[in-house]
Amino acid sequence: MKKLMIIIAAMVLGTGAVAYAGNPGFGQRRYTVTGLVEYSYNKAWGHHANFDVQGLMPFNPHFEMEARVQFSTANVHSGAVQLRPKFEVPVGEMFLETDVYYRGVARNRMSDLTAALGVGYRMDYVSVTVGVYCRVLNDWDRSIYTDESYVVEPFNMLYRLEVFCRPQNNPWNLSFLISDMDDYQLERMWQPLFGIGAYYDVTDHWRLNFAAQCKPTGMFHLNANFYGATFRTGFSYRF
Amino acid sequence: MKKNLYIVICAVLLSGCASDERVLDLAGLVSTNGESVNTRFEQSMAYNNSRGEISLDMGNDEYVVYVCTDSHITRGTHRNLDYFIDQYRAETAPKIAIHLGDVINAQHNFPCADSILHFAGQTDKDTVFVTPGNHDLYFKQWSVYREYFKSGCYWFETRNGARKLDLFICLDSADGTLGTDQMQWLRELLERKSREGYRRMIVYTHTHLWKLDMSQGFTSNMALEETYELTSLLGQYKIPYVWSGHQHARQSVFFKGVNYLVLNATKDSENGQSYMKVEMGESAIYHYIDFPRL
Repeated sequence: MKKLMIIIAAMVLGTGAVAYAGNPGFGQRRYTVTGLVEYSYNKAWGHHANFDVQGLMPFNPHFEMEARVQFSTANVHSGAVQLRPKFEVPVGEMFLETDVYYRGVARNRMSDLTAALGVGYRMDYVSVTVGVYCRVLNDWDRSIYTDESYVVEPFNMLYRLEVFCRPQNNPWNLSFLISDMDDYQLERMWQPLFGIGAYYDVTDHWRLNFAAQCKPTGMFHLNANFYGATFRTGFSYRF
Repeated sequence: MKKNLYIVICAVLLSGCASDERVLDLAGLVSTNGESVNTRFEQSMAYNNSRGEISLDMGNDEYVVYVCTDSHITRGTHRNLDYFIDQYRAETAPKIAIHLGDVINAQHNFPCADSILHFAGQTDKDTVFVTPGNHDLYFKQWSVYREYFKSGCYWFETRNGARKLDLFICLDSADGTLGTDQMQWLRELLERKSREGYRRMIVYTHTHLWKLDMSQGFTSNMALEETYELTSLLGQYKIPYVWSGHQHARQSVFFKGVNYLVLNATKDSENGQSYMKVEMGESAIYHYIDFPRL
């Protein structure tokens, strides 16, 4: 196990160290609209489908915004906004990230609001983000005649490490991800998500996307079990 | 932070040892070392069905419940648990006791917890009910746990003669999930029992549902989807109290009409340990009692 961890760490650090090969600049990302469909399963909600619409708005080379909504047949509907100021550094790019995630869990008559602050660094082959976030859970049926209040989980960590097989401006790519966040949820820090992502630029404007994600539970109980999985595909149109 | 780093270093070192008393096995990060929660649920139900229902005649409408958690017993570290058992045995009112899991710390430690093992069997009204914690199940210890405590998921009721008093439901969350089968069982049980006229229904389990502080760093919760689903279900059936441990830090959350109480650890080596005493009558009044300091 120790050897495996050392090998993985060496691979990640090694690819990061040699990877930056003159990327024309992450600031050149384009306005993009994406539509995705998902098949998803978890032990609480069973089998369900999700429909996503996402927009990327790179207002200028130093500031971009992402907005996303998701509608689910599990009767859970989510939205997320990310604001990302960014600065090129001699090798790669640093960025700050402000995330606001909202999940309306209509099936359980409650909502889950998270706000996060993070700092990130990306190169051709690696992207890393770390930060903190706060969660507020609210009962939709809360009576004004009780002492009940919001549940606030004031401090948690977010992290995201994604390793790419090709430079991030390549017309196709494959990536591996470990994180406690995805496009629509911020899990607690000891509940990591593992993912694979891929895209292929069919034309200059159209991009085909694919992603798969696995969520185990009980990892830090040292009794890890499969909990859920998501498979996602769709097209992006880049203006 | 220092403490967490120390735990990680110890975990890495111990994972390579061949000792009989390993504390952690990092293989459990990837895949469970023993039976899945669904398998444990199935075996627990098989035992429950063979034993029959537990209905404790308290002989009174009022009685007390002693509750402790996370004793993490190893050789020679059972002072607080022994104290808890002594206080419980000295109680003159009708009583029951509940241990919310992590009775032991690691493999081969169950025999060190002999003060609680007297009560294994869970059929008498002078008894200690136990729910499994993650430490109780490390290294394929479910079979050992079953030898002592028989079942990880069950319910029992208290009554005064023919009059039903309270229902207690024990859930196995030692993996950080209830699993599909246990969740379905819980839904059906709550639906059925909510019509039987109990004063109240109380749920207890090892893993706490909320992540209110980082005092214990490595204590993980259930997945978010399960937190939503379970809190909604418990609120729907107006469960007044959910008792849990795992966090080693006292917490109280009131959500959807349910009081979620997380208890301090009973572990000898931690500061600020306490247990909980609940006076069950028309209302349930709880207070925390500190363990004596050495």
